Amino acid sequence: MKIFQRIAVSIISIISAFIICAVLIKIQNNSPIDTYKALYTYGLGSWFSFSSTLNTATPLIFTGISAAVAFASGVVNLGQHGQLLMGAIITAILGVYLNLPSSIGISVLVIIGGLVGALWAGIAAILKRFYKMDEFISTLMLNFIAEYFTVYLATYPFLDKKAYVPATRLIKRIYFMPDVNGLNFAFFVAVFTILISYWYIKKTWHGYEFRMMGYNFNFAKVGGCSVESNTTLVLLFTGFLSGLAGSLLILGGTQHRFMKGIGANFGWDGVMIAIIANNSVIETFFYSLFFGVLKNGAIGMEFETSVPSEFILFMEAVIVLAVVGTRSAVEHYTQWMRSMAKLRKVVSKND
Amino acid sequence: MTELVLHMFRATLSSATPIMLAALGGMFTYYANIFNIAMEGMMLTGAFFAVYGSYFFGSWVIGIVFALLSGLFMAGLFAFFAIYLRCDEFITGIGINMLALGWTTYALRSTFKVKGALISPKIVPLPKWNIPFLDRLGSVGNIFSGHPFLLYLAFISVFILEILIFNSKFGLHLRATGEDPETSRSAGINPIKVKLVATVLCGLLSALSGVYLSLGYVTLFSENMSNGRGWISLAIIILVKGRPLAILGLSLIFGLFESVGLILQHYKLAPQFAAMVPYIATLFVLYFYGKEKRKQG
Repeated sequence: MKIFQRIAVSIISIISAFIICAVLIKIQNNSPIDTYKALYTYGLGSWFSFSSTLNTATPLIFTGISAAVAFASGVVNLGQHGQLLMGAIITAILGVYLNLPSSIGISVLVIIGGLVGALWAGIAAILKRFYKMDEFISTLMLNFIAEYFTVYLATYPFLDKKAYVPATRLIKRIYFMPDVNGLNFAFFVAVFTILISYWYIKKTWHGYEFRMMGYNFNFAKVGGCSVESNTTLVLLFTGFLSGLAGSLLILGGTQHRFMKGIGANFGWDGVMIAIIANNSVIETFFYSLFFGVLKNGAIGMEFETSVPSEFILFMEAVIVLAVVGTRSAVEHYTQWMRSMAKLRKVVSKND
Repeated sequence: MTELVLHMFRATLSSATPIMLAALGGMFTYYANIFNIAMEGMMLTGAFFAVYGSYFFGSWVIGIVFALLSGLFMAGLFAFFAIYLRCDEFITGIGINMLALGWTTYALRSTFKVKGALISPKIVPLPKWNIPFLDRLGSVGNIFSGHPFLLYLAFISVFILEILIFNSKFGLHLRATGEDPETSRSAGINPIKVKLVATVLCGLLSALSGVYLSLGYVTLFSENMSNGRGWISLAIIILVKGRPLAILGLSLIFGLFESVGLILQHYKLAPQFAAMVPYIATLFVLYFYGKEKRKQG
């Protein structure tokens, strides 16, 4: 029943978000029907669109679970953007210079990418653990630092002189991740990561402690969870996931090099996905796919209509606010109605 | 060398202003015990609509009016979700920031047909004020004179707000609501109303900070031009526990870091490292604050 209600709330609020956006598209003198049709055709319409939607969704899945696992454990990791960029740059650099056979090389690069993401989050973890600095602000600041640092690396020491924009050289062809019918192998890695994370959070002792920390921090502390080392662990783990996102973006994406702006908005999108998914790993997966449809469809939308693809950023935010707003309003007011009904019962009994 | 130092001090005042205006706005919500992280978004929409008004109506006054209206709208939106629909304030804030980023990027494309940044001679900047007496003092006077008037307004408002918060009935109500909404309700204060007023004031001041960014600091609008200043403002508010005078001090320190970063660009340092300075500075300030806190126990 509870699950049914949640799905209903999500569907109703997503539909209302689409209606709000339709009105805004209409105001800008474009046709909402054509826009949404293009969104559908290019997001889901054919196997080609569908497989590229899944590819688009891959980094979102990683940043999404990263945010979801952190929030569910009461740790505010907003540093997905920076962790992703650090994972991406190290993969892009090593992908040029590393000499290993294809499959081993790919695995090594993926793991190193993830570890560098974890290390970047580890800075915030150290600051939190030893200097009591709020991870919420430190992860944010690390985003900006990573952004400038990676652009520096791509502009000066590792610049591809033939490129028109600041970019590193193309990684070795043997390290490109294989496609299966247009669907990149990176997507399967993402699905595998979802399953592992779900198992880890639901079935292991650590996962249980994480969830308790998110549920009630002080209770978890009194109950004997080693809150401090768990916070560190959560930051490292979620940093690792974001680093993977960056690494796979280089190995499995389309560009195979680090370019300025490659991180796009994946970090914040992941945070938003985790929020509307209520920090559940499985829901995060489905919302990532949904956002993937929007993102992939956006390119078609720009192609077919005069609505620029940036509109999708706005639309995502409307969806987030609609879902979250409806959910909490429904929760709050049903609780209120229930208590009023109870009150009425008590009053009428006394009469 | 002296010229460089003077230039640096002048740039410090200028860089401190947007951070300070947003932090003063966030101060109201801080005292009302609202965890408001939407300053970044409010700043960005303020900056956009200031340019919008200034571009289409050829007047910076209309630009400010547009920006204030957008600030009012964003504050209304925040209040609607966080206060009336009882959403988590943190989540609402992230949603609103994303909304602002999405909307301004989209509108830049669809209204002005440009990508990245809008630079145009049609954007009328804020007028610069020469302060009498000071402008005759030569180079030292030059630090203080000839800034856009919003800068002076920001510095004066620090003192007004200090009095407003600690010596007025409104300030008392505000702080009481933040401390304990239920008790203040029993004392005849409407906590919802006070929170609403605090949010609206935050929206207006953050929007003004955006105006300073796009019409005062430079004369253009670029995607995501607030670039984390709203977050730095939030860090400042948390560090100084909201006190306006302390906000002034810390904003000046951040302004100094930013202008040092700008000056470093003239030397053989990559511009990216210079741009990192304010964010690294934030981490350092947080570090020293944490150290201080541990000393106190």
